[in-house]
This record gives sequence, structure tokens and C-alpha cells, in this order.
Amino acid sequence: MTTRRGFLVSLLASAALPRLSWADAGSPAYLAAAKEADGGHALFGLSRDGADLFRIPLPGRGHAATAHPSAPEAVAFARRPGTFALVIDCVTGQVAHRLESPAGTHFYGHGAFLAGGDLLCTTENHIETGAGRIGLWSRREGYARIGEIPSGGIGPHEILALPGDVLAVANGGIRTHPDHGREKLNLPTMRPNLAYVTPDGVEEVVTLSEELHRASIRHLASDGTLVGFAMQWQGDLPDPVPLLGLHRRGGAPVLYQADLAEQLAMEGYAGSVALAGDTVGITSPRGGRVHLFGMDGAFRGVARRADVCGLAPRGTGLMATDGMGGVLALDGAGVTPLALAARHWDNHLVPVG
Amino acid sequence: MIRALALALPLAVALTATPPAHANVSEAVADHILPRVHSFAVQSRALSVNADADCTAEGVRPSFHNAFDAWMGISHLAFGPLEEEGRALAIAFWPDKRGMVAATVATLVAEEDDAVAEESAFAQVSVAGRGLFALERLLYDPAHAGYGRESYTCRLVQAIARDLSRMAGEIDRDWAAHGPLMLTAGEAGNTTYLAPKEAVQRLYTAMMAGLEFDADQRLGRPLGTFDRPRPERAEARRSARSLRNLVLSLEALRDLAVTLADGPVPATEAAFDQALAQAEDLQDPVFGSVAEPSGRLKVEIVQQSVRAIEAAVAAEIGVQLGVAAGFNSADGD
Repeated sequence: MTTRRGFLVSLLASAALPRLSWADAGSPAYLAAAKEADGGHALFGLSRDGADLFRIPLPGRGHAATAHPSAPEAVAFARRPGTFALVIDCVTGQVAHRLESPAGTHFYGHGAFLAGGDLLCTTENHIETGAGRIGLWSRREGYARIGEIPSGGIGPHEILALPGDVLAVANGGIRTHPDHGREKLNLPTMRPNLAYVTPDGVEEVVTLSEELHRASIRHLASDGTLVGFAMQWQGDLPDPVPLLGLHRRGGAPVLYQADLAEQLAMEGYAGSVALAGDTVGITSPRGGRVHLFGMDGAFRGVARRADVCGLAPRGTGLMATDGMGGVLALDGAGVTPLALAARHWDNHLVPVG
Repeated sequence: MIRALALALPLAVALTATPPAHANVSEAVADHILPRVHSFAVQSRALSVNADADCTAEGVRPSFHNAFDAWMGISHLAFGPLEEEGRALAIAFWPDKRGMVAATVATLVAEEDDAVAEESAFAQVSVAGRGLFALERLLYDPAHAGYGRESYTCRLVQAIARDLSRMAGEIDRDWAAHGPLMLTAGEAGNTTYLAPKEAVQRLYTAMMAGLEFDADQRLGRPLGTFDRPRPERAEARRSARSLRNLVLSLEALRDLAVTLADGPVPATEAAFDQALAQAEDLQDPVFGSVAEPSGRLKVEIVQQSVRAIEAAVAAEIGVQLGVAAGFNSADGD
């Protein structure tokens, strides 16, 4: 906990500095991490049309970034099972804070801001028990650790802030131990869920049927009302496996699938999910394709692109990034390549604001 | 109705200057891909013509094998034309973990589904009820043995053969357009391959995925676990093609590897030769020997040798071409 003196200093500091916004960082529409041609890593701010607005070197491969809702700050997480996250000032390009997960825990690679950006929430593994945790960090106190709450399951991965300061948490269900890298320790008994959590506790837990207990719920997207969740199948694939679900608070989850051949082509793996307009999409880098569905569950089509993974809303359509450096727009008219750079876009494309 | 989203033109952003398309890509297209997709079209057409002339199992089996052989020559090219309209799975629905081929074929026969009368209607049948594996059921499964020339089964055999011929012809036709796309990778207006390297990467990825499929599925499924070997899971065991498929697949992949390489690849060629020699030495067309320990060991050794090819290809050809496995697909999180 911060001291009274520290608190006052931070208040004075914030009063003395002009309040910066994302406009000061070039008004990026998205953040994305990438491996560059020389083997280094960097975080990029991208325009709506996929153009580079800023480039900030990172010390290693990241997983996802989290954008502060108003201030030009990004939190970049190390790849699972990393123990650090960097708060990056996207105007100066400097690391403003370095967050270490508490002893005996590690990060899972995603985070979200609550309370208008005052509270950073991070998904964490309590290594000894395997219990999923949400770490709470106070931005006003220089991103001091101020507490933690249960995630409502095991292996919380992506986390999403919903209206009303509620968090949607994808508890992937997979127990890992850093001593064993990414080795999965509980596949026969895993039971993933989608949980709704506030700092006061777990409000709702959504699970799928027993036969889908190996469908690890990993990534999330929301339009404020519906939550889309993307899954990754663990173990031998039955034919075929659902990879996308939509959930409305208080209701039952609805699973969406393409036709048999297309569903199988996803190889049991969805890497990202995004909702925009009346469309929900999921990517499969393994299957090299994006599946698009209407909100009514109708399969609308497939966009094929090798190693595609990042996905975010772009107007009423979507924008995708791939491991070959491509940035693509997807909408009713089809797929339009927007940009190509000599870099490998990493897993996620994160909308700003 | 599913549709592939059309790629819109043109690139909104000027792309970085790129070197001309890889010479090896044009060789791979001209010498490896185009002759093979054409051969598959010819053999599938022959299958359909022969099935129309004589639909009995005895009459169709020889051309079934010829078409399947030709398919093994291209099944690793699992992108572009093979991906359109779910063709690859409609041609070869395997692995079939839930027994969907048997169930779908049984339903078609029991209901005497009218779809067999119309090519366009049959194209809408589930992919599990079409293609080489549905045909294999009808030609080899005792449940369908001895069907007559006037039977529904006869008409179903002919419909499957016609459907295969149609898809093989479409693949041949579509490759005539996709080949140039690979050769103009990175040029303005090419929205499939945005940089020259992407065409090389595509072929390399397909080659590695083919090797993985041979090791994990063609060998891995019958191997099962030491405590529970699963010989009944061998690919196309009814037509006794399990080993033949593995060998033909490795031969096709060897051809692609050598074509794509940018110079001598002795380790790759030696690894292919070793795996092929060991596979042929098995003299076990359906991998039935996995059921007992000494036989199982020999099949496991073949599997290790196929994995050794992957390592050799990555070290030699991957390094030569400056390509590697997909950045995100290999990460998985």
C-alpha cells in the first residue's frame, strides 16, 4: 500500500502535468505488438487504415496490450507465463511503470481498465493452488498493487471491462505451473467458464455442457450487451468442435458453427474474437482463416489468410492482422489489404478508446 | 449458403519494394503442382466414366485406386483451389473420428436420397457422404457388398464418382488461375499473396503440414498409445491403402521439397529416403502390426523418421528460403 506521503506526491505530480490524451500519441485506433525483421519486438500504434502512428521497442515478445481508456498509456504483458508487465507512455515511448506479479503468481497476458481508467485489472495464476486471480492496480498511486479478487475459475486469460464496471473473464480452465512451461496439468478434469466479476465478487458463472469441458474459453469481445467468447479445443479433436459462443447476462450461451468442412478447417482453434455492427468474427491462425457470423448465428463467410490472428472492430466491419505483417479490412464488400510491413504481427489487435 | 469473401482491389497503401517472385515457386507450380492436379482431374474423370459403364464394386475398384493415388499426389496442397467450397474434405473425409462417413452413407442408402439424380444436388450432400472415403465404403464394406447394377447403391457410386470428377476438374481449372497468382506474389493487384515471400511461405507451410499429417494422423492414429494401439483407425484400411497412402504422400512431399529447395539438400533427401525405405520394409498395408509390440516398434520408427524429415526440412530448406512455421499458429495462446 502506498504511504500518505507517496500519495500526496503523486497527486502533486498529476496536478503539475498537463493531462495528455491519445491524440497526443497520434490518435491510434489500435495497438498491436510485433516481432520485427531484425528479431526485436515493438509495440505499434495503428491508424484506422493500418498505418503506423508510433513504434515503441519492447524488451521481449509480448502477448496482448491493454489501452487506457483516455490517457495515452498502454500496458504490455509478457508472454505467458510472464511475471512482468510494462506501462508504456505512448507519447514519449518510455516505460512509465514496470509491474511485477506478486511472488507466487504470474500473469496470463491480458488486462483491462475499470473505474474510468483508475483501476488496472490483470489475469493471474496463483501458482501453488492454481486458482485464477484478478490483480488490482491503482493508476493514481503509480500503478501500485492494491489487492486481488478471485477470477471465478482456473487459468483466466482474456479479461474485458463491461459497462457498469463489471469484468467479463475467460477462465480457460487449464492449470499450468511455470516449472513446466505451458504444459497442461489438468486436461481430463478441466472445466472452463465465462465469469462476470466485480471488485465485490463473482456475479455470474457461465459453463458449457460437460461434453465441451475441453473447449478452453480464452478470448472475449463485447458490444456492451453481448459477450462473444472464442474457444480452443484441448486434446484430440472430435468432429467438429464449436469455437465461438455469444452470451447475454443472465441467459444461456449460444454456440455458433460454420458448415462441417469449414468448421473442421479451423483446427479446433480460435485465436481472437471481435464484434462489430451485426457481425461477430473469429480468427484461426492454424486454419489460416477468419469466420464471420451474423448475430443471429448465420455463417456469413470465410476470409482466408495464412497465420491470421489479431481481430478488432473497424466501423461496422472488422480489421485483422497476421504473422506475415499484413493488416486487412473485412466487411460486406470482402477483404481489403490495408498495409503490409516486414514484421510479424503478434496474437492480438487491441482497439483504443 | 457459404461463400468465400471476394478480395477487393486494390491495395490502399503502397507496399514496400519487394524482390521479384522466387524462381523456385515458378518451378514448383510448373513442375510439381500443375501436372499433378491435371493427373488427378484425368483419373477422376476416368473413374466417373468407368463407374457409369460398370458401377459394380469389381468394375470401379481399379479406377478408384488410380484416382486415390493421384489424390495422394496433391492432398498436401491444402490451400487455394483445394480449399474452395470445402473441396479437400469433400474429396477425402479423414480422419473421421465420429464415424460420420459410415453414418452418412448408410442414411443416403436407407433413404434412397434423390440427390444422386442431380450433380448440383449431390454437391450439397454432407462432405462425409461424398468423396473417396464414401466410395471406399460402398466398394469395400461388407455392409454394401454385392450391390446390383439396378440398385440405389449403384447410382450412389456413380454420383460420388461424378462429384469427384467435377471437383477435380474445378481444381485443375482453378489452379490455372492460382498458379499465376503465386508467380506474381507481391505485385500490384495481387491481393492473395501480398509479398513474394508469401508464395514461398505458402508452399513451405503446406509441405510441413503434410509431413505433420503423415506423422500425427496417418501413423499416429493407428499407433494410438502403447497400452491401446488402434489398428482400426488406419486410413483407408478397407481398401488396404494405409501404407500406400503414406508412401505416396511422402513421395509427393519429397518432390515438392527438392523442387522448392534453393540448392542441394542432402540431409532432407537422406531423411526422406530413410523414411520411405522403412515404410516399404513394413510390408504391412494396413498397419495391422501395431497391435503387437515388435510390429508397433517398427511403425513407431517410421513415425520418428517422418518427424526427422520435418527437422531436416526446417534446417535446410527453411533456412535457405528464410521461412519458418507460422508466427501465430506455432504460438498458440
